[in-house]
Amino acid sequence: MSGKIDVLIIGAGPAGVAAGIGARREGAENVVVLERDWDLGGILQQCIHPGFGLRTFKEELTGPEYMHRFIKQAHEEGVEFRTNTMVFQIDRDTNTVWTMNKERGIEALNPSSIVLTMGCRERPLGAIRIPGGRPSGIYTAGTAQRFVNMEGYMPGKRAVILGSGDIGLIMARRMIWEGATVEGVYEVMSWPGGLRRNIAQCLDDYGIPFHLRTTVTKIHGQDRLEGVTVAEVDDKMTPIPGTERYVECDTLLLAIGLIPENELSRMAGVDIHPVTGGPVVNDLLQTTNPAIFAAGNVVIVYDLVDNVSDEGLIAGANAAKFALGKIPSTAKRIPVKGGENVRLYSPQFVTGKTDSIIFMRVTHPIEKACKVFATADGEEIYSQRLRYARPGEMNEVKIKADKVQNVNSITIDIQPV
Amino acid sequence: MNYDIVIIGSGITGASIARELSKYKLNIAVIDKASELPAGASRANSSMIHGGFDDKPGTMKAKFCVPGNKLWHKLKDVLDVHLDECGSYVCAFNDDEVKHLELLLEQGKTNGSPGVEIISGDKLREKEPNVSPDIVAALWSPEAGIINNFEAVNAMIESAQINGVKLFLETVATGLLLDDNGNVRGVSTTKGDFIAPVVINAGGVHAGEIASWAGDKSFKIIPTKGEYFLLDRSTKGFIHSFLFACPSKAGKGITVLQTAEGNLMSGPTATEQLDPEDRSTTPEGLAEVLKGARKLVPNFPVNMNITTFAGVRANTESGDFEIRTLKNPRGFVNAAGIKSPGFTSAPAIAEYVAGLVKEELADRVTLTPNDKFIPERHNIPRFLYLDMAERKKLAEKDPSYAQIVCRCETVTEGQVIEAIRRGARTVTAVKMMTRAGTGRCQGGFCCPRVAEILSRELGIPLEEVTRHGGESKLLVGKTKEFLLKKGAEA
Amino acid sequence: MSEERKFICVSCPLGCGLTVTLDDSGEVTKVEGNTCARGESYARSEVKDPRRVFASTVRVKGGKLPVCPVRSKTPAPKGKLFDITRAVAALEVEAPIKIGQVLIHNVCGTDADIVASRDLEAV
Repeated sequence: MSGKIDVLIIGAGPAGVAAGIGARREGAENVVVLERDWDLGGILQQCIHPGFGLRTFKEELTGPEYMHRFIKQAHEEGVEFRTNTMVFQIDRDTNTVWTMNKERGIEALNPSSIVLTMGCRERPLGAIRIPGGRPSGIYTAGTAQRFVNMEGYMPGKRAVILGSGDIGLIMARRMIWEGATVEGVYEVMSWPGGLRRNIAQCLDDYGIPFHLRTTVTKIHGQDRLEGVTVAEVDDKMTPIPGTERYVECDTLLLAIGLIPENELSRMAGVDIHPVTGGPVVNDLLQTTNPAIFAAGNVVIVYDLVDNVSDEGLIAGANAAKFALGKIPSTAKRIPVKGGENVRLYSPQFVTGKTDSIIFMRVTHPIEKACKVFATADGEEIYSQRLRYARPGEMNEVKIKADKVQNVNSITIDIQPV
Repeated sequence: MNYDIVIIGSGITGASIARELSKYKLNIAVIDKASELPAGASRANSSMIHGGFDDKPGTMKAKFCVPGNKLWHKLKDVLDVHLDECGSYVCAFNDDEVKHLELLLEQGKTNGSPGVEIISGDKLREKEPNVSPDIVAALWSPEAGIINNFEAVNAMIESAQINGVKLFLETVATGLLLDDNGNVRGVSTTKGDFIAPVVINAGGVHAGEIASWAGDKSFKIIPTKGEYFLLDRSTKGFIHSFLFACPSKAGKGITVLQTAEGNLMSGPTATEQLDPEDRSTTPEGLAEVLKGARKLVPNFPVNMNITTFAGVRANTESGDFEIRTLKNPRGFVNAAGIKSPGFTSAPAIAEYVAGLVKEELADRVTLTPNDKFIPERHNIPRFLYLDMAERKKLAEKDPSYAQIVCRCETVTEGQVIEAIRRGARTVTAVKMMTRAGTGRCQGGFCCPRVAEILSRELGIPLEEVTRHGGESKLLVGKTKEFLLKKGAEA
Repeated sequence: MSEERKFICVSCPLGCGLTVTLDDSGEVTKVEGNTCARGESYARSEVKDPRRVFASTVRVKGGKLPVCPVRSKTPAPKGKLFDITRAVAALEVEAPIKIGQVLIHNVCGTDADIVASRDLEAV
């Protein structure tokens, strides 16, 4: 393919590959996905455990299997991929995308529209400021996962896991399956960060202790990690004196949360939402720069990859429409507001041009019957009963376009019933 | 191994002395126990190039600070080191503190610190809108600056190496060798004896112990920990310079600064401790830093913190530098007790030490000028700071510059390879020389990639790559190995 | 005497809390807490013949990566998982490898096959 790129997609993870498919299906001619790795698929290539795609494919696939199906579709649809190609700059006034690649050198691309699908990254140790030394043997769970599953190396023999995000839970089992030991998983909150089934099948199955309201308060060791001090915390998450315990270990894996990866989005000058950490988007997944769309974990950290792919398809299709001049640049912006127990949500604006789904996470768990609902100017426009609502899981609010044609704002929330 | 001079320690003091002495035809060895530079207090400090108003006239500190400051303003170009010539403020919150500013002003004038003046709190807030509204006045020191201390130490030692100095890392000095007359014959180390008639002790927190090998008990090092917060580079511009609180008995107190790279930073505490190697951060220390930071900058965005760290500085009982030759044994020079303003003073200390060697130790070594001395040294290209045309050119010449390794700091593979060519052997060494891993993900993304490049370029298995030398291996083996071993045992 | 057992369903991300009632002879008489048929069958299997999908890597000769991800095509008996880890550890496969390629038939005498879960090119 040559000539002007209609839709340029940054990142060939689940969101980007789907965006490519979406853009081609919508009629964009020249659709290019850039990937910095040599391989397509993003982080899912290292997520070798099953648990992906039940909704899309009606069976549980491993990460590489899930991506294999999407990549195959994308090739069939005529999506062009450029691997080993990193975007290192986006100029905000011209939407020029600067790429580098060892064979092609440094290039400037000027596509008609852009889809940001860079995914997310893990919160590092610095974000939680644990006192103590700075020895080797401290990794984010995802870095350890890459070492084990892609490079074939073991980060350690005796691990402690801080945080109960899903990657941490999965890595606990993975370490066990490689013959290492896992001393325990410690979570500062009163509820698990990851899915219940991962507590069951990754920890309980192997007798790995799981401690809520407990955190690592000190790191021991100067060269290699020798151990950690853990302590219980009070309601303000402050360690309780007298509860400290020393746990010997040579590895500390961090599963303390994911943050949308938005260095490029900032360069591109799109508004970043202070709570989600991702671009502010409307229901077309269009950012505050009309030519730039965004989908997947770069916008808001999802719990299910199926949702990421769905959003990728939508963003790709809308980016194609934009490239083809089918989206007027002055769309309506009905603001979406979060209620009391809403921690974060996306999109933050609705155009009313299409039915849409607002994804949201609660701040506090509700372990009983509750309802997720939306009101438009005070009138209920959506309601769905739930058996529970947990911070680790995403909830959906479905908005019908015809219900929001003449409204000023929409509020979403989850409350017990 | 025979040398004219052995320097123990390659912090900013040892490195500066090595470079200064490389201006003479001498065979010089620098030994350091670390696996990468800078390692000790030169790595973990405020990276301040002080204006020179804070030091009591008559002290060695006062003697070297202003000349050191002047030298750095020249050396930054000669050595291709990033020095942000931003100036500094000492902030006063009440009348008593304003009086203290006046004292500092006088002291600055006596010390020859140029351009020092007192400005109003409002004037300060015009320049630095995020400082506390309670600040009533500030002492402005225009010549103060903030240096990239990682670059500076590496630049200094590289420049020395360009001029023939030999650097030996992971080499621990274990004792002083004396000849039959009881004079200096060299240093014994974990890597064998280094024979030389002159030994210079630039051993930082260990300088007291090293001096005691020469029978010198005239000073004692008091290891003093300083803890810091380092914030994401997106905080750039939150403040633009270096802010001190008014000094108290406890020292210069908690400062807030923008590093030469644009990160907001705050620290240090000053906690005396027995262990010179304990660089762990503490809950109490970090709380103290935060309190101090918020006093100067109430909205200090601590949520943007990317790492905390601690350095141990070599305080002395006298409170001053301990720089002199010993009468007995002959050939032993102390460049010890170098703490704040040590980094600033280092180039001036180096000139002074070279003078001492020339004048007081002429019977042991002869200092003949090295007419082939090359003053300049060029940094590894910093992709982040190049304009697009320069980037393109670099990438065309060497495709490894078209491959990002560290995405937070935009460090390319080419830079990592060049750092290895210049002597980097560990992940931290690469970090010190290229800044890969200094950004917001703190090496989460680039550490495995840097390790792979080290493994490939050095021809060693990935399992042998260390974070910072010694036992700090990143990985413990290949997958399947434990299982197969367990299987064999079962 | 009937017996009640409680566990979390791992069939899908919902993670329903299941309660299974067994009669004296160990037969399942009641499954509660599930929200789909999958949960029911998981519950029945979990009390009689608990199984899990196994996922790991095998060593690769001459591949673009030094290891290739593998999985048990179907859930394997839970009690055999550690035997399976060793059997998989002992295996070394030559690249290229195709997704779905059977690498071990009926691993450790179970009815589960170990298959590759990605394509891996040779270098």
